[in-house]
Amino acid sequence: MMPSFCDGIRRRDFLAAGSLAGLSLADMLRLQSLQAEDHKGRDDVNCIFIFIVGGMPHQDMWDIKPDAPQGVRGDFQAINTAVPGIQISDVLPQIAEVTDKFAILRSMTHGDSDHGRGFHIMMSGKKAGAGDFNGNQNNNQHPCIGSMVAHSGRPGPLPPYISVPNFLNSGGPSFLGATYAPFVIESDPAAPDFSVRDISLPETVSSRRSLRRQEALSAINKFDRPIGAVPEQVRELDKFYQKAYSLMTSARAKEAFDISREPDSVRNAYGMSSIGQCCLLSRRMVEAGCRFVSIENGHWDTHRKNTWSLRELLCPSFDRAIPALLRDLQDRGLLEKTLVVVTTEFGRTPKINTLAGRDHWPNAFSILMAGGGVQGGQVIGSTDRQGAEVADRPITPADMTATIINTLGVDPRTVVHTALGRPIPLVDDGHVVNELFS
Amino acid sequence: MGYDCDLSSVVSENRTRLPIPSRHLGSIRDDGGREMGQRVWRTSLPRFLVGSTQCCRALSLVVVLACPAGVWAADGAVPEAIVSLSLAPRSIEFSGLQRRQQLLVTAKTASGDVVDVTHDCRYGISDPLIAGLDGSVLVAAQRGSAQVTARYAGHTVRGTVRVGQVRTFPRIDFETHVAPLFSKLGCNSGGCHGKALGRKGFKLSVFGSEPDVDYRSLVSESRGRRLFPGAPGQSLLIRKAVGEVAHGGGQRTHRGSLDCELLTEWIRQGMTRRAPFSASLTAIRVEPSERILSPQSEQQILVTAEYADGSHRDVTHAAGYSSNLAEIAEVDESGRIRVGEVSGEAAITVNYMGYVSAVRVLIPRSRGADTISPPALNSEIDRLVWEKLDKMGLRASPVCDDATYLRRVFVDTIGTVPSVSVVRGFLADQRPDKRQRLIERVLQRPEFADYWALRWADVLLVDRQALGERGALEFHQWLRRQIADNRPYDQWVRELLISTGNTGKYGPVNFYRSVRSPVDLTRSVSQAFLGIRMDCAQCHHHPFEIWSQSDFYGMAGFFNGLERRKLSADRELIFHAGYRATRLPQTETVVPLKAPGGAVLSPPEGDPREELARWMTASDNPYFARLIANRLWGHFLGRGLVEPVDDLRSTNPASNEPLLRHLTGLVVRHEFDLQRVMRSILESRVYALSSVANDGNLGDSQNYSHRIVRRLPAEVLLDAICQATGCPEVFAGLPQGTRAIQVWDNRYPSYFLDAFGRPERSTPCECGRSDEPTMSQALHLMNAPEIEAKLAADDGRIAQRLKQGVSREALIEELCLATLGRAPGAREIRIAQTLFDKTEDPRAASQDFLWALLNSYEFLFVH
Repeated sequence: MMPSFCDGIRRRDFLAAGSLAGLSLADMLRLQSLQAEDHKGRDDVNCIFIFIVGGMPHQDMWDIKPDAPQGVRGDFQAINTAVPGIQISDVLPQIAEVTDKFAILRSMTHGDSDHGRGFHIMMSGKKAGAGDFNGNQNNNQHPCIGSMVAHSGRPGPLPPYISVPNFLNSGGPSFLGATYAPFVIESDPAAPDFSVRDISLPETVSSRRSLRRQEALSAINKFDRPIGAVPEQVRELDKFYQKAYSLMTSARAKEAFDISREPDSVRNAYGMSSIGQCCLLSRRMVEAGCRFVSIENGHWDTHRKNTWSLRELLCPSFDRAIPALLRDLQDRGLLEKTLVVVTTEFGRTPKINTLAGRDHWPNAFSILMAGGGVQGGQVIGSTDRQGAEVADRPITPADMTATIINTLGVDPRTVVHTALGRPIPLVDDGHVVNELFS
Repeated sequence: MGYDCDLSSVVSENRTRLPIPSRHLGSIRDDGGREMGQRVWRTSLPRFLVGSTQCCRALSLVVVLACPAGVWAADGAVPEAIVSLSLAPRSIEFSGLQRRQQLLVTAKTASGDVVDVTHDCRYGISDPLIAGLDGSVLVAAQRGSAQVTARYAGHTVRGTVRVGQVRTFPRIDFETHVAPLFSKLGCNSGGCHGKALGRKGFKLSVFGSEPDVDYRSLVSESRGRRLFPGAPGQSLLIRKAVGEVAHGGGQRTHRGSLDCELLTEWIRQGMTRRAPFSASLTAIRVEPSERILSPQSEQQILVTAEYADGSHRDVTHAAGYSSNLAEIAEVDESGRIRVGEVSGEAAITVNYMGYVSAVRVLIPRSRGADTISPPALNSEIDRLVWEKLDKMGLRASPVCDDATYLRRVFVDTIGTVPSVSVVRGFLADQRPDKRQRLIERVLQRPEFADYWALRWADVLLVDRQALGERGALEFHQWLRRQIADNRPYDQWVRELLISTGNTGKYGPVNFYRSVRSPVDLTRSVSQAFLGIRMDCAQCHHHPFEIWSQSDFYGMAGFFNGLERRKLSADRELIFHAGYRATRLPQTETVVPLKAPGGAVLSPPEGDPREELARWMTASDNPYFARLIANRLWGHFLGRGLVEPVDDLRSTNPASNEPLLRHLTGLVVRHEFDLQRVMRSILESRVYALSSVANDGNLGDSQNYSHRIVRRLPAEVLLDAICQATGCPEVFAGLPQGTRAIQVWDNRYPSYFLDAFGRPERSTPCECGRSDEPTMSQALHLMNAPEIEAKLAADDGRIAQRLKQGVSREALIEELCLATLGRAPGAREIRIAQTLFDKTEDPRAASQDFLWALLNSYEFLFVH
């Protein structure tokens, strides 16, 4: 459904009306702002942002196309779910039981079919400029969503933006500065010897001795020139030293990182997989006050043997982890305060290729949102018969970005400044998907 | 509707500086143009919203841009006295399809500055029936001649206008008129039909670089369904473009626009591929090419297309623009540059039909009275640096002290911090030429080869994972030998390029092992040795450069025919089996062998790589010496003259072109003896400047007014910690005493090296190495058990010295020399004393002091 303005004119008509009735751009912008108020987010909502790396095949999971021709349709069947009228793929039987808790956005769309550029636009809401975005991970030309949230944030015992188990491509802060870079766990919580390294003092150093060291260090590092004249690089590292110190000295933080405190029954409910334990650790971290956790879950780039890969390798642990997370959050009364997003850089081609795989497809794909006020059990937008193009209610990465940060109480129109002072809005041309919250 | 208005009322609008994103300009203009002349309310819009009309029938009405006269004059102060005005072009001829001409009006001030007043002056036309003015764009109306005047600050400049036949369409030429429309309307952009596979079955070459291909897909493909000569206006092409038929790209133009009429007319005329007498585009001319602007000002660009028959045409409104540094300068789609408060420089890329050019804009700092005359300069390098500083209104910082200089030269040149005894010796040395002597000594040290082999191994992808242990070791050792022998750069690169043999025995041939396909080799070789980033041209014409697919596959031809025989699990025999024709992937056309920008070669008898190597390493090669010059400068000064250092292209100009040219000349003159070039850089005054910014250069990062502070690279930092603690790192499997900068195995497991940004060696670029700070680095330096063990080691520096019974003062001094490369000041002594006072155990106190030093910014960075 096309969103309507308050006066009932659809957007396209409105633009046409604008040019006919002689409204200036300023008039139009003013009128646009008169439309219904956006959903009101809250700054006590946190986010678990699960990024399915490689490109999640929408038509085999969320937007199944039983009527598509052979060679497009794929091997999965549509199954009924907890919500009448919503069908998803039979490769996700456990998720099917919790569709009442999340919304499926079936009409995501952007134009970048390259992984690196896909990451950039889905992580930051902004299209990447010229250049290669695949090699270097911290390649943001615009801050990623996690950094936007960290930037707005209130300080807490935990870093506001944590990435687990690795740094996510394009998960950097760009011009907001390294202060708003993620704290990267760099260790998989599913591993038996998982620990977050270097957050505790060495065994031979008592906390009193550590205090003496810190005093000496801050005396040595005391800048003898105005802070503005201290080189940028030094200032950035200085911020990290301060944050690192507050992390080391926080018992709350250490407890949150200690996943072994969870009973086995809980750990098993999430599944002893990377995604399962990352979800569980994320829950612990948002519970302890982290505002934005990004989870990287990889190897979904199914150019070959798509069906087999989904069925055997990728979906089983995913299908276990997501419902466990949603239920656990709900049981603890955290779901209303935790926005869960399952996203990806793009979908996959309608056509199945000669290697029984699907290739990159940014024109139309699906993501999920749950919690944080999102009304579960709904589907927003749709695609055509082949899942190739958006048929209804296109949602751009900028819209997604606006929706996420708005839910977390950050105004998408917030203007931030580059190092050289150029003002830039956090989200350009993105609109909150308000249907999610109604 | 008012033809009777006074000429002076045909003026441009009040200066409007609203930061309206350029996309809005486009959309309003597109749907506004047609009604414009008929509705009086339109004229009250700000000028940039009125924009350009495309409709020639409405032209006579456009002249009614009735705006309040003299707004600008009433606006107040003209900053400086204007002495003259100039107009470009001075004589304007309209004929055929040329109906629009962007005007460029430039004022000269009493002090000799030039200022763009294109959008600030008042225009008039002697006969509005002949031509009208749409802002600063002159639009032809009917045959005749007239005079255009521009007035500003009491000055007037005149130009002549002659309008020939414009009312009927001449023969329309596909290449000259139709293909550019696809760029202008965005049809052939990379996101739409310009994509490698096109969109919805319709493929155009990206940015119209291949008119033949575009013509074919438009006229003949899909059984010719796109064009309908029987009823041109009903052609699918047009119905899609105007949005009458569902179109994924939306509505791009509207019926009645000149664009639409032109397309229709072209189809009606029979879809001429090449009109008789039409000449092909040979170049674009961009004015101005460089301009110094004051903060918060504007500059209009004028783009003229030149054709083989000598004719030319204004294409300002059809060209594409982009800024390399939007913080400094922005440009909209009409070619209007706006700069903000930030001083610095930016390049605006102009792109039209595969031709590119750039406009450089410089925004100097407001010149204070304290611009001092340059101090005694050491060389031509310095002279060129200070010339630029002066141009930008910057004042250099003073030269740094000896201790800072010593540590800087050591780290930059040999990736090693100076030892305690070296520091003592250098600081005690009273000879006036001790810095030159230092440079000589450093270049002779064995770490020189270690460090440069490491840096080259990054660029040349010496990746153990790809090459296996044997191959990586051989390659690394070969590189190290070339550097240790100071073999001229061109010679070892030539050997590498034409290498043949067993990867387990002959190092350089491993280059062809890690990079395998002709396509990947083209990319890697051009980036690593020529600074040409060819990636784009693999699939389509490079959007910011002159490179096309035939350049790409022309170069790939040199590597086509490379063969590999597996000898054992980790060894290959690699050789070139002779020239093989290379074809374009889409069209299967054979691409002739050709180096980028070089001449087409006939297939050689033997190994074609020899031809490539000869071309590449020739002293007049425009890229090879220039790239290494820029690389070295970037390495030592912290920022390349071109950034990124390996992205040399006309549209990414150097921040100081004369300097880069001079350095390139040095490389050639010294016959690629890179040590001699390094010596020149190290001896310069600019290299020795302090990192402390002053009021006159704070914030400058482009002009080397003060030293750019950098963190020690991962390997160098690890070695520095080992050296300071006196406790070497043990690399299992490598000889004892191996230092991190000597480790040839880039995959050697090391959390430390990974955390501090060791590169993966997967892209032929120094960009893989990261010096971004992270919280993990801070945590690791403070808490890592590995580092704590070094501090506390029984055979470490502290334990040893205490065992020898050195005094507390001597130990404090030594620890400072070992970490900071200087003697302790009052502050460090006081801090150390406090630590000693607070604990019984002098060893623990010393460790705590060293811990603090290792975590200090002075230690972690090179200043």
